[in-house]
Amino acid sequence: MPTLPDRAPCPPERRHGGPGTILKRRVAPVPVEAAVHPVVVLAAVAAGAGLLTWFAAGRSKRLGPAPSEGRRYAPRGSAVTASAAQRLNHASSMLAASVLFDSGLEHYRGQFFNRAMYTPVIVSSVTLASSLHGAGDTDPGSSQVRHAAQALAGLTGLIGFCFHAYNVGKREGGYSLQNLFYAAPIGAPMALTLAGLLGLAAERVRDADPDKPRLGGWPAGRMLALATAGMLVGTTLEAGLLHFRGAFQNPAMLVPVTLPPLAAALLVRAAGQPEGASQVGAKWGMWAVSSMGVGGVAFHAYGVARMMGGWDNWRQNLIDGPPLPAPPSFSGVALGGLAALELIERRRFRL
Amino acid sequence: MRPRQDLYPGYDVLAKRESPSWNAKTRAVLDERLAIGPETHRFFDEAEWPTMKAIATRIVPQPADRTTPVPVAALVDHKLAIGEHDGYRDAAMPDEREAWRQGLRALDAEARARFGSRFHQLGAWAQDQLLRLAEAGGLMDPAWQGMPSKLFFKHRILGDVVKAYYAHPTAWNEIGWGGPASPRGYVRMDFDRRDPWEAAEAKPGREDEAYAENLRVGD
Repeated sequence: MPTLPDRAPCPPERRHGGPGTILKRRVAPVPVEAAVHPVVVLAAVAAGAGLLTWFAAGRSKRLGPAPSEGRRYAPRGSAVTASAAQRLNHASSMLAASVLFDSGLEHYRGQFFNRAMYTPVIVSSVTLASSLHGAGDTDPGSSQVRHAAQALAGLTGLIGFCFHAYNVGKREGGYSLQNLFYAAPIGAPMALTLAGLLGLAAERVRDADPDKPRLGGWPAGRMLALATAGMLVGTTLEAGLLHFRGAFQNPAMLVPVTLPPLAAALLVRAAGQPEGASQVGAKWGMWAVSSMGVGGVAFHAYGVARMMGGWDNWRQNLIDGPPLPAPPSFSGVALGGLAALELIERRRFRL
Repeated sequence: MRPRQDLYPGYDVLAKRESPSWNAKTRAVLDERLAIGPETHRFFDEAEWPTMKAIATRIVPQPADRTTPVPVAALVDHKLAIGEHDGYRDAAMPDEREAWRQGLRALDAEARARFGSRFHQLGAWAQDQLLRLAEAGGLMDPAWQGMPSKLFFKHRILGDVVKAYYAHPTAWNEIGWGGPASPRGYVRMDFDRRDPWEAAEAKPGREDEAYAENLRVGD
């Protein structure tokens, strides 16, 4: 009859050394106890890639002294495009930071099962560095390094979207609500694409004619307003899916599925108005969505506290609870919308 | 037959006691359970107790060298003493407390009738014979008082004894169970994924990795 091993709490050395058996020491294929945790290595690599991008983009140039006589552009026009470009970089930074922390957290949960899961962490770090660099750059004129970094982000996000779509589709049941809820979140990688797109727009706006800025052949302000309105709708779909999964158990969960579409509608209306017209409504809409994104972090923190064990049990609840880094992606897109409104109004906004 | 492998080397579920995995309530429940010694009994009288212990030994045998064997009979006694019922029973069976008293008396009567001594005094073979007959419904002594021996075996012996065995941390260590997930549950629930506070199963030839992981479940 099979004898059950003694499973009482005592070190195995003693258990293995029963009477009559030779005491066999555990000689290891024990994996070399890495002195540093693999996650620390990943963080260092991501930070290093970011720093490299920062230095590769060169010294940020301050606006020179008073514009000289021979300047081609009216100062007001270039002030508007420079401000809009910076704001677009802020938007891109916000989104990249959101992706950096969100993908880091969620892919850590997935134990980096697929090597490709390291990619967004490193790429979003590069994007974040590039966007922060651009945000401090008041010089009109783009940077090729930043341009390339943002394009990389846009591409990585699209590839990630395909990966996630494949992950959902290969599961039992295919594209069912169940899999959309619990498999890889299908919309999440697109946030990196949005960061890349807004960052690209920042570089293009820097390069554009300050008096008649254009993006892809269209007036830059209107083009951006429509684009950010679309981004807001996309982000709303993602939040809506996950908040629906959460059964809208807190009424505040309805805010991210109602406010952003309204603000997007205001943006679309603004895109249809003549340049120079005041856009107070849309502007307030964008500020509202921006602050909603920041406030969302507090709500999600409250959500973590509500889970069993609360913050004491953070190792489970930070992963299982509402994701803290997710809501600021709304703020990022809204900042992009503000930049679009600046270009439409032909006037710099100040806080 | 080969001895069963130690699938979760180094795993001790009680290492999670002070970790975020357990809260005060979980600790209190476990403390109460661990305070039950192998001879603790309040429900069974001195005549029934050896029979109960003999049944437990046949149904869930344990290795002799366990430092903390599961006090199976005492756990069954505890359940009956505090009057915690399953909440359901077969209509042909009396109340579970009454069923246990009748069943133990009847098994003793059967042992005397067939082998001439009490159940706990029999050898393992004779005890197994009686238990097999009970399982098949073949015991008809008047001492059963109309209770079908088949149902007594199915609902009381199998139900209560096996549940008592797996209610103890020693059994949890054996099967790599994490104990109550209260408050900390599990996050990585896909196939072959593992949370760091979960028991690590030893893959053949990689027992040392599992051993190293299992020392960290209480972090």
